[in-house]
Parts: sequence; structure tokens; C-alpha cells
Amino acid sequence: MKLLEGKTALVTGASRGIGRAVAVEFAKQGANLVVNASRASAEMDETVELIKDAGAQVITSIGSVDQEESARAMVGAAVETFGSLDILVNNAGITRDKPLMMMKEEDFDDVISVNLRGTYQCSREAARQMMKQRSGRIIQVSSISALSGRPGQCNYAASKSALVGFTKSLARELGKFNVLVNALYVGVIDTDLTKKMPAAAKKTITANIPLGRVGTPEEVAGPCVFLGSDLSTFVNGTTINISGGGYV
Amino acid sequence: MTPLTLEQARAQASARQETTLKLKEALIDCLALEKEPADIPDDCLLFGVGLGLDSVDALEIVVAIESEFGLRVEDEHMKEIRSINSIVDLVISGGELQAEVA
Repeated sequence: MKLLEGKTALVTGASRGIGRAVAVEFAKQGANLVVNASRASAEMDETVELIKDAGAQVITSIGSVDQEESARAMVGAAVETFGSLDILVNNAGITRDKPLMMMKEEDFDDVISVNLRGTYQCSREAARQMMKQRSGRIIQVSSISALSGRPGQCNYAASKSALVGFTKSLARELGKFNVLVNALYVGVIDTDLTKKMPAAAKKTITANIPLGRVGTPEEVAGPCVFLGSDLSTFVNGTTINISGGGYV
Repeated sequence: MTPLTLEQARAQASARQETTLKLKEALIDCLALEKEPADIPDDCLLFGVGLGLDSVDALEIVVAIESEFGLRVEDEHMKEIRSINSIVDLVISGGELQAEVA
């Protein structure tokens, strides 16, 4: 049985890593996809091909998630093409890791803008449609950095912590519309973002994970399918920890 | 502005009454109000002392307006969500705006 048969999902930041894995897994589970990235790229084309290979319909919507026009275009594309928007995964995120004393204002602002403002813009636009449908799921991709903090990530950790409060408040606002809002505390996952981490830091982190390894993007996709599916109809305003037990 | 003929004025008044009734019915339905349209005065305030609605109800109202009248309620329109009359004004002007664009 496909868990997302007939549903339409929008995944931001889908050109690679977690976003791509989520989009492809959603496709395998029967969803139609709108995939977003800030710019067109060969990687994005590859994501689209993988989705098509999984037998799903897909359209792309290129634009920065922190811009209202982009958010409108994404949601509009979903509704015009597929007739609804059932699941939004706010995955797009960036890092500008630096110690606070060396962190420039734009390093802080850029991270907050994409990670938090982008979630605001996309959630707002999606909520408008989902409230009309009286049904929908919004999934925020937060991070264990929000739980534990990490040197050099004041900006990133702040943005990801904010997503948790955002999620809880929005869950309370939209619950009566049968729109469920949840978040993921994502641990260390083998993506381009974590590849930028210093090897020593990565080794220390891995040593603290009981499973003895970092996670894969596909291991984040599974919980996203759960939160997007009818298996989670009473799960609202919570955060799932996907860190291999490294942060409990 | 060209003055209206009597027929035009009557048609406008009739259209407004129709919009008002449709709006009241939509609000009664979406907010599960135990009232009839006639029980809600056109100048009734929606929040506080009027119908006593709250900010979550405001979301319901926006959804009802957008679904019922096919309009998009923009941020700058939110201040008009205060009474039946002010929403009817918004719906009528919104319809005119959309007609101009089309």
C-alpha cells in the first residue's frame, strides 16, 4: 500500500540531500510533487528524473523561499497543476558557520532569512490553501543544533530553535482546520551541509551517536512520510528526534 | 463619477443585499453560530462586543470569504475584517478590482 497515494506535496530545498530524499520517497509512496530550489541546476534536474523514475508527476518551482512571490508561485503551481496541496516540507536551509565574534551581520541575517523567514513565507501560503481544504500537513525540518547548540552555529541554532516554537504555535492555530504541523530534530546526516563540517567535529559527534554512524537522507525521509500520511492523524505540534540516539 | 440611474441604483442595492446574505450564511456555517442571518445586523462588529469572535475565528472568516467569493484577502485587507458591512464593502470592491484586471 502506498502511504501518500493521490496526495500533493511541496518540498523546498529539494535539489539534493534531505530534500531530494524526501521528495523521492514521497514519489515512491504515490504523491505528486512540486519541488523547489533557489536556482535551476543539474542537481535539480537529477531530482526531477528520480521522481519521474519513481512513477510520480513532478513540477519544479524555482525561487528563494524567503520571498513571498516564490512561496505564492510554489503553492499556486501545486493547486493549479494537481488541484490541492496536502503536504509542505519546509526543508530549505543554509549554514554560515562562524564563531560569533567573526560572524558578520549578513551571515546571521541570511541564515535567519532562509531558514526561518522562508518557513514563515511557505507555511503561510500553504496554510491559506490547506485551511480551505480543511486538511493538510506542514513539516518543518529543524535540527539537533536547536537542542544542543554547536560552536559556530549561533545563527543556525537560533533559526532551528525558532522553528520549534513556530511549529507549536502554528499547530495550535491550524488544528481546528485539520492542518497538522510538526517538526523534525534532524541529527548529523550525510549531506553537503555536513560535509562542510571539520573532520574532527564530525568524528566527535559520531562518537556520541549510539548507532556509531551518521544518518542518511533516506532515514529522514521515512519520518516525513509518516508525518505526511494517514498514520499520523493525531500527531500535532510535536518534534521527532532523528539523531540515532545521539541527542536524547 | 457618472450619476447612477434609478435602475442601476436598485441593481446595486439588490446585489449588496445578496452579498450580505451570502456572507452571513457563510459565517454562520463556518463559525457554527446559533443564529439566523436576520439575527445579525449589517453593522454588527465581529470581534469583542459584537459577535464576540476571536483571532482564530478571523482565520475562519478569511477562509470563508476566499472560498465563498473567490477573492484573495491580502494583508492590507485584514483591517476590513471588522463588521458585516466592512466585509461586504471589501467583497464588492474586490470583485470590481478583479473585473478591472480581467
